[in-house]
Amino acid sequence: MKEVVNLTKLFINESLGLSLFFYNQKFNRKEFYKQLFTLIIVPVALIPAFFMYVSLMSATYFGLTMINQTSVFLSIGYIMATVLIIVFGVMYILSEFYFSDNIEELIPLPISQRKLIVAKFLSILVFEYIFAAFIFGPILIIYGVGQGMGLLYVLLSFLVFLTIPVLPLSLMTALIMLMMQSASLKGRKDMLQIVFVFIGLVVIFGVQIWFTSQLGNGDEVDFQLLMNTMLTNNEGFLNIIGYIMPTSFLMAWTLNKITLMSFAWVGALLGITLLSGALMVAIGERVYLKSIVSGKTIKKGKQLSGAQRNKALGKKSHGAMAVFTMDLRLLLRTPVYFFNNISVVIIAPLCILLSVSFIEIPPEDLQGMQDFFRAMPLLINYLLIAFFIFFGGTSATTATTFSREGKASWLTRMIPVTARDQIVGRTGVAMLIQSLGIVFTIISIQFIFPLTLSTLLVTVILGILGSLPILLFGLFMDMNRPLLNWDNPQKAIKNNMNVVITLFVGMAYTGLLIGVCGLLGYFINPLLGYGMFMMISVAISVVFYKVINNRLEAEFLNFES
Amino acid sequence: MLKLEHISKTYGNKNEKAVDDVSFEVYPGEIFGFVGPNGAGKTTTIKMIVSLLAPNSGKITINGIDNQNDILAAKKQFSYVPDSPELFEKIKGIEYLKFMADVYQVPAVERQERIEKYLDIFEIKDAVNDPIGSFSHGMKQKLALVGALIHDPQVFILDEPMVGLDPKASFELKKIMRDHCDRGRSVFFSTHVLDVAEKICDRIAIIKKGKIIEVGTMAEIREKAGSQESLENIFLELTE
Repeated sequence: MKEVVNLTKLFINESLGLSLFFYNQKFNRKEFYKQLFTLIIVPVALIPAFFMYVSLMSATYFGLTMINQTSVFLSIGYIMATVLIIVFGVMYILSEFYFSDNIEELIPLPISQRKLIVAKFLSILVFEYIFAAFIFGPILIIYGVGQGMGLLYVLLSFLVFLTIPVLPLSLMTALIMLMMQSASLKGRKDMLQIVFVFIGLVVIFGVQIWFTSQLGNGDEVDFQLLMNTMLTNNEGFLNIIGYIMPTSFLMAWTLNKITLMSFAWVGALLGITLLSGALMVAIGERVYLKSIVSGKTIKKGKQLSGAQRNKALGKKSHGAMAVFTMDLRLLLRTPVYFFNNISVVIIAPLCILLSVSFIEIPPEDLQGMQDFFRAMPLLINYLLIAFFIFFGGTSATTATTFSREGKASWLTRMIPVTARDQIVGRTGVAMLIQSLGIVFTIISIQFIFPLTLSTLLVTVILGILGSLPILLFGLFMDMNRPLLNWDNPQKAIKNNMNVVITLFVGMAYTGLLIGVCGLLGYFINPLLGYGMFMMISVAISVVFYKVINNRLEAEFLNFES
Repeated sequence: MLKLEHISKTYGNKNEKAVDDVSFEVYPGEIFGFVGPNGAGKTTTIKMIVSLLAPNSGKITINGIDNQNDILAAKKQFSYVPDSPELFEKIKGIEYLKFMADVYQVPAVERQERIEKYLDIFEIKDAVNDPIGSFSHGMKQKLALVGALIHDPQVFILDEPMVGLDPKASFELKKIMRDHCDRGRSVFFSTHVLDVAEKICDRIAIIKKGKIIEVGTMAEIREKAGSQESLENIFLELTE
């Protein structure tokens, strides 16, 4: 037990970089303040979102009170928390169990496989409990306060809360271990991770689309109708999830009405949870380390003849092209990077396309929408521009460009490539990804109504120009504070404050730019609005370009200081 | 060819100097060995030479170019292989070599000839189309060496180059180093293998706690130490 606790502490310490944090406190104050800033700013930045979430949940509860259906409230929260735990948990499980470097050091040590699995699972669980506290905690409190529940409810809800992340995570871990076993044998670990997360996203998105389609054919939807549909339709969302996830019934029976039976139901819930954990450990003991060891065999490329090697070496390319190609290859071939930087440009347009195909919009409504947008070309243009900038701003490609290289960044800093080539190559990758998103979006939108040539030209040009300052700002951030010391590529993105800062600054800038130029265009002249948009975007881009161009070589010297 | 003048470097703790007023010069055609105990400041010094770290004071010139005033021009004069070459794991060996050839602007014919030559010498021709992640430590080291030799640098800088290499590769590397210097270029490398340093270096610098405590040919070092013993024994005496 002590060994498991120590291992768990070690994994948590490694995930959070606690030892380094305290070392920096004593010996590297500059780095310490950077980390401290991150620790403070992230929770603070999330406060508004949390309050919005609590308000939404309170409104949902009062909505349900009005139709006398409060009993469904806890089930909604339970299912939502479970789905979110699965969504975010998949990457954590894969990272901790399969993509963390620590396993290489631990395998030779005399630690039983069971202890290793349990400790790794517990280290994930700690973070998932914190996550669940923010998602499911408010739901338990709102319901308890609303129903005037007593101490027994507090005790029972605490026990229910304890089970929340364990069951979905155990089952997901077991499933991943089984899938990784077959994947590792074929040396296809990276590809499997991509497939796995895509399947997860498609399932979640499919459920959401299906859920929306259950509401009717484009009629005006209100909350009450949504609830009624769920409650009256036997094939409804809750029942289906309930059948897939029977524990949601146990949870509801435990907490909806406190009786002696509640203890039996919570006991059953705890029992099932423990069983799921035991099942995961039992499966893990059979397959985990075996698949890790065999997974070390990376699929090799075919041997090249002299002529093939010469062809692969090619002719002399420009420095910017070399940087561009290398950055793109790293993005495409590292699953974590692929999902964080590229998937959004595929998923967002796919959402539009699937929504259109699943939800049948009556022809008269579609005609009405088309007429409305034809009458307001300015509105549709700026909406599309905002959407296109979204691909640039959210991809975090430039905001993590040096961080993604991690310990191999010495190479980037040592080679004689001009700052201009670095900027062009790295921003070029981000723009390519953004352009893909733009193309996919335009194709998807064509299914609703064809865009005019002028709209296409204006939105594509301004969409790309408008995102350029955000991309360069991201590059500027990563140049100043790259996150290079990681043992797992997920940290280069998820633990990187540059992503959050670029996202917030980018959103604020986009909102302001579109607001000001849109108003100018609406009240004075559309061309004036577009002209102003271009001028501001170009001016800010030039400023950032010059700053980065002047500072990059010097900043490279500070990456390890 | 490589000149360090009064180089100093501190990290977080300002009172403790990792490198303290280091000066020496590497001449054309010379293999220069840099030896010292763990934590003596060898890697920090090398990182300052190859523009991975900025010195707090002092001046470094490579082939006459100040590496702080004209970083890019200085970078073109050398190539560097670190002690543990962390490379992009998802990239294939051949893609890495193309990248290196491109950033150093090596023409097509030269890159093909050099890469063929060094892939043969280090016996990694068959693995060059595999992802670097599948390479062993030694193979990564060999790939990094091939990548560093693509542009035939004026100064070849290596940090602990023999670590991880098999005996044949070590032997070939020593030959390459000598050939390189015979063509009027220079090699600067750090090592713990004092036997190697003694045998192949034209001159040696010994660093201890950030300070150069001895620099010269083996004969000069022996003379100063007043002993005819091996470099290992002299080193142990000097660094105790």
